Amino acid sequence: MEIIKTIDLVKTYHDNGVPVHALRGVSLTVQSGDFLVIAGPSGSGKTTLLNLVGALDVPSEGKVCFDGNDLSSKSRRELSAFRLNNLGFIFQAYNLIPVLTAMENIEFTMMLMGIPDGERKERSFRIMSDLGIAELTEKRPNEMSGGQQQRVAVARAIVTNPSIVLADEPTANLDSATGATLLDLMERMNRERNITFIFSSHDPQVIERGRRLLILRDGMVEREETR
Amino acid sequence: MMLLRLAQRNIWRNKRRSFIVIISVAIGITATILTDTLSMGMIFQIFDNQIGSHIGHLQIHRKGFHDNMVVQNFIPDAGAVDRALDGEPSISAYSRRVVLFGLLSSANTSSGISIIGIEPDREERITKIRASIVSGRYLTGSPNEIVVGHNLADKLGVGLGDKVVALSSTLDGHVGSDVFRIVGVFETFSSEFDKVYVYIPLEGAQRLVGLGERISEFAILTSDRKTVGLAQDALRRILGDSFEVLSFIDLIPLILVQIDMYQQSMIVFYAIIGIALILGIVNTMLMSVFERIQEFGVLMAVGLSNGKIFLMIILEALYLGLIGTAAGFVVGYLIYLPLASYGIDLSAFSEGLKSFGTGTVIYPVLTTTGIINALFLIPLMTVVGALYPAFKAIRLQPITAIRYV
Repeated sequence: MEIIKTIDLVKTYHDNGVPVHALRGVSLTVQSGDFLVIAGPSGSGKTTLLNLVGALDVPSEGKVCFDGNDLSSKSRRELSAFRLNNLGFIFQAYNLIPVLTAMENIEFTMMLMGIPDGERKERSFRIMSDLGIAELTEKRPNEMSGGQQQRVAVARAIVTNPSIVLADEPTANLDSATGATLLDLMERMNRERNITFIFSSHDPQVIERGRRLLILRDGMVEREETR
Repeated sequence: MMLLRLAQRNIWRNKRRSFIVIISVAIGITATILTDTLSMGMIFQIFDNQIGSHIGHLQIHRKGFHDNMVVQNFIPDAGAVDRALDGEPSISAYSRRVVLFGLLSSANTSSGISIIGIEPDREERITKIRASIVSGRYLTGSPNEIVVGHNLADKLGVGLGDKVVALSSTLDGHVGSDVFRIVGVFETFSSEFDKVYVYIPLEGAQRLVGLGERISEFAILTSDRKTVGLAQDALRRILGDSFEVLSFIDLIPLILVQIDMYQQSMIVFYAIIGIALILGIVNTMLMSVFERIQEFGVLMAVGLSNGKIFLMIILEALYLGLIGTAAGFVVGYLIYLPLASYGIDLSAFSEGLKSFGTGTVIYPVLTTTGIINALFLIPLMTVVGALYPAFKAIRLQPITAIRYV
């Protein structure tokens, strides 16, 4: 089932008045349950494409449709609700909320969704056990290693059962063993929960794991392959 | 709940900065409490001094006396007023008076005065003249005794035991005069009062102007200042249109102007404190917002709405304001308590204060309004101070915020 469709996406930034063309007409279709990696060299536009798909940024031209609905017609409030209810984000720098414990970080999005306290705690604890981080419940981000923080970030991203998880360079700050474990986890979540994963990465082990691969160069699709 | 927890924890990220804000708020609150209680103490003392020295809570005259204080405007039926006052439960004491204007002469010079003929025993329950005697004694009722203010005594060059001559217009339009012997000298809160007012027994005043047994004024004290309005209304109903029943506010409207000036100056004071606080909070919260822009981006990305981010920043400022307010209130109250008991001796400014009518020792008074101003106004200002940084935060695009370095 088609979940995301981008049509001729163009994104142009202005750097001191000089136009920088990050995307030059990218069309992409993502099916539910995909494990898609957007790869390419630095400056190829992979993070820009991920941000547009995640409704964190607005395209200069073209459109992004989710379940057939054009996101460009939505207000900031609607986009905020859309991200809350449909997307999970994993960032390169983990970006956990520093003043909250691991458990609270995971609970945070469920709290925004209005899920009752008991259910929040139960779901958070279950996913933490599932990801092997149950002992980190009361730890704050500055008390955890990079790998532990990224596992908490994964837990935060998937605990609400989103339709899509967008992961921007999720292994970039991790050693290869930790990165591999994390990818195992995400593959398992993809299989078991049918969560669609879209990665932006130039890490070979991420590219290797992708069941679909989209290679960008200079803001355009250079190659697309399904494995 | 999570937002409250977040806001609470966020303010302790930079402890030094938060403490600076809290201390600023606390100092502001303490200063506000002390200034407000001192001002209210002065206001109440002006009221109490005016009421206690001469005015009383209420006065009853013949209709028109207050505008034209001539001896001919005596009360035609004092018995009716006596009966009305005896039947009104909120009246705690009253005294009959004859109020005259005239001249008091010594061997050397003379001075324009207000002569108040009083019933010494009854007057004692209304005013503080007896307690204000600084040399000699109070009136005993002998018709030719007089007590004068110390400033007037100085001006006339007279002292205890000296004779003075009082002159005033009589009921039949002539000038009446009589000799009085000074038995006491008083000193009140007001130098002006001490220059102008003299007290003689009621009988002496009646004889001076040929009033017989008639009087011109009833001075009344109610059980409580708050019951004055009710008592005034009740007496007006009972006595009808031929009498004027005036409260201390009707009698000394200038006090209201003074109080109004005080309150205006307090508004200016609050505004200065408020602006300083708002600028401090704006600065602190802006720094706090700029330090966390990337985090706001992540919060937006995971679905926290702009409204909630806005609320979170406001809550952070409110927390700082409330902690500072609580600390400032405790400190201010602990300073206020001994000052309210022992007073603040401002005798160094005694002349200025006396002409102002407050007395030299001020007893601060903490009022409900003062508490409300301190507890609500200042935290409200901290919230106002956080509005601009909060608006700044929510205007960010999520991606701009996430990429912010």
